[in-house]
Amino acid sequence: MKTFLTAATLVIGSLAAAPLFAQDFSEGSTAKAWNLYAETPAFFGAKVVDITCEVTGDCPDNCGDGNRQLGLLRDADDVLVFPNKNSQSGFQGATVDLLPFCDAQVEVDGLLIQDEDIKGATNIYLVQKIRMAGAEEWTKANTWSKDWAKKYPEAKGKGPWFRRDPRVNAIIADSGYFGQGLSHAEAYEATQ
Amino acid sequence: MKILPFFAAVFLSAPAYAATEGERVQVRGELIDTWCYFSGVMGGTDAVVGSAHHTCALWCSAGGIPVGLLAEDGTVYMVLKIEGDDANASGDTQLNLASHEITADGMLYARDGLNYLVVEKVVTDHGITNLNHEDYGVVPGFAIPNPNK
Repeated sequence: MKTFLTAATLVIGSLAAAPLFAQDFSEGSTAKAWNLYAETPAFFGAKVVDITCEVTGDCPDNCGDGNRQLGLLRDADDVLVFPNKNSQSGFQGATVDLLPFCDAQVEVDGLLIQDEDIKGATNIYLVQKIRMAGAEEWTKANTWSKDWAKKYPEAKGKGPWFRRDPRVNAIIADSGYFGQGLSHAEAYEATQ
Repeated sequence: MKILPFFAAVFLSAPAYAATEGERVQVRGELIDTWCYFSGVMGGTDAVVGSAHHTCALWCSAGGIPVGLLAEDGTVYMVLKIEGDDANASGDTQLNLASHEITADGMLYARDGLNYLVVEKVVTDHGITNLNHEDYGVVPGFAIPNPNK
């Protein structure tokens, strides 16, 4: 009896420690495919939270005011989903798009990344659109570049923002495209 | 046997994630951009790290993509703070360390399958040590513009 109880406790405990099952949040989603290997469309309700606050208990006003990564505390299972990416092609995260919804109940639509072959690739999200819970109108998660342009008016010019970003360009000017001190010509030559 | 439903109620009524109590750890690894690494958008995990991916790691960090610490055993720690700087979305400290291998001392938290790290001290900054541009060139290929155009 004692052995049985111990075994049952271990089984129940391990079930509680791991995600109980991989839920499917694709119903109702109109997310656009990016054709990533491990993507699935995912539409769900959640609360927008400051991830550092949620994990460590260090909680400044307004979810860190745009300086911190924001998460989605999913209504269905209390799982903390990590939006790594907004809907723009390129290299933009999701904080700028989620910040107006700090601490609010929202609905989001996008792509969930769950790749069993990559350690830690779970509950990673690409958010494509957001709306307040109960609202009809969606807000597209594509505002990062406009926000960047306001922050760096001196960097106005042709081409994508990442070619003109003053902080990035200062680092490349200092240590090169590979971070090894090669000149632009030397680095380019190394790729040919 | 009536004790079993009790155990079930206790374990299953709690949220299915570990308590967010920190554990002190020391980890050595490379600061990476997590979107390229987790999504596979630019190819396999070997190619989206190191010197080959350094320029993209800078773009992603500046763009607010979350930064992670990729440890030698393949574990990824989502970095929440570095030496008191909590700007983990496009912050200067994370940007300046893009692609660097560091030895970090800090607090580890786990939640819903992800590891989170508050780096209290960068014990050693080893610099960019994975010189994989020698194998992969530059990833993505357009990261280095033609200097003659």
